[in-house]
Amino acid sequence: MQHFIIFIFSIFFVLVLSFFNRKSVVDETQKTLRVYGYSSFTSKLGPGYDLKKKFEQICNCRVEFVEAADSGVLLQRIKLEGATLGADLVIGLDQYDLQKALSEINWRKLDFSQLEIDEIIRPALSNSYFVPFDWGVIAFVGRKEDPLPAPKSLKDLLKPVYKNKIALMDPRTSSPGMQFLSWVYDAMGKDEGEKYLEQIMNQAHSFSPSWSTAYGFFSKRQVSYVLSYLTSPLYHQMIENNHSIEAFKFSEKHPIQFEFAGIPLDCKECSLAEEFINLMLSDEGQKVIMNKNFMFPVIKSAQVGTPFESLAQFNHLAQFKIPSVSDVDFLIKSWTSIRRGDKNAK
Amino acid sequence: MLVSFLDSVKYVGHLVPISFLRIFLGYYYLQSAMLKYTSDFLNKPKIAETISEFLPLSQAPEWYKVIITTQMIPQWQILAFLITGFEFAIAISYLIGYVVRPVAVLGVLLSLNMIFIMGPAFEDLNKTFLALHFVMAWIGAGRCLGVDYYFYKRRRGLWW
Repeated sequence: MQHFIIFIFSIFFVLVLSFFNRKSVVDETQKTLRVYGYSSFTSKLGPGYDLKKKFEQICNCRVEFVEAADSGVLLQRIKLEGATLGADLVIGLDQYDLQKALSEINWRKLDFSQLEIDEIIRPALSNSYFVPFDWGVIAFVGRKEDPLPAPKSLKDLLKPVYKNKIALMDPRTSSPGMQFLSWVYDAMGKDEGEKYLEQIMNQAHSFSPSWSTAYGFFSKRQVSYVLSYLTSPLYHQMIENNHSIEAFKFSEKHPIQFEFAGIPLDCKECSLAEEFINLMLSDEGQKVIMNKNFMFPVIKSAQVGTPFESLAQFNHLAQFKIPSVSDVDFLIKSWTSIRRGDKNAK
Repeated sequence: MLVSFLDSVKYVGHLVPISFLRIFLGYYYLQSAMLKYTSDFLNKPKIAETISEFLPLSQAPEWYKVIITTQMIPQWQILAFLITGFEFAIAISYLIGYVVRPVAVLGVLLSLNMIFIMGPAFEDLNKTFLALHFVMAWIGAGRCLGVDYYFYKRRRGLWW
């Protein structure tokens, strides 16, 4: 036993000694901005990487991204770590997360009311704590060469020809999935909406946990249609030079999704966080977000002369609202009970 | 000591395959500990981030989650040092076959904690490690191709 204690003690003694003697791997004098975001934003392929490079060139600081799979996990992590580790900026909450975020975490007030933005975005600035940095229109996407007739409404999706041909997302884990659920209720009302959801349970190919999984089914041609964004075809046009993908206009008004950024009240580098938001909302930052996220910029000038400009004229849009926590709970509970009651659940 | 090291092959030669497993595990832990030491694992709260992400999903008992959340996440640097130090201890002990039994018990405890805090991607790996450490402790894997044989011959007892 004596040998063991001496052995363990020696290991820790050498480890501590060498740790304090080694040359620091980072420049400790530099400030670090800790940004919490979802993984497709912070990855090298997302806009986060370019924004980080641009910001580090001007701020004499380091930007450190902390990734989370989705906004639910993001909020959970900030709640657990926020005060201790310091979350300076949170990126990627959508309108369904805002009230929950406000009820669980204290946020710093932001004032971006003077921004030169499109009128569509104005309602998203009505809150005092979060600022939108991009937006998208939810739409179903398919291929032009597909022999099936293009669906023209939510009800069309229930037609037998579309059985097992539509990829949807689970609203409990995916924000576009939540948008779809809300779309159904807004367009049809509670009773009819529930009936519709019961029917779509058997109609859809799958309810994936994330947008990327569902879009993967579409890309691999396992399904003909997928719930995505109006701007999704632009990705195929600009990156793959593939012009065969289209988004369908439905008779029901299409929901809008905003992505927000916010600064927690217990931030450590609060002014750097505000500067980072300023970069995101600058013409340069908005172009990066637009071209990497394939979402509309909130600053109108950023899309001038780009393929996004003509798509942004799409005006068959539902009114933007920030749902309350009870609204979101109702949607989730309703979905869960319908899903549970479905004996043929996939 | 060198003579007894070589003698061990002659007298406890049936343990040679286990010794290879022990040395391989030691090498694995050395790599893992070096990676932690050379990266910013000790400087930055990476371990706290991992725990906060996966602990809510873990099967760990509630009291354990409370301890980890209230004590370990705020003291992440101590936790990072403990994990790195224990990994170095396991690595060196397994590679040279010194105090393998008590260190293997330490390995069991380390793996048990890692199952709960490192997330589903590492759960199966840590369960396997837990079983391997248990076997190392049970057999006394340091007696073959290890320094433990020297002490085992002279002192006997539970720890060799």
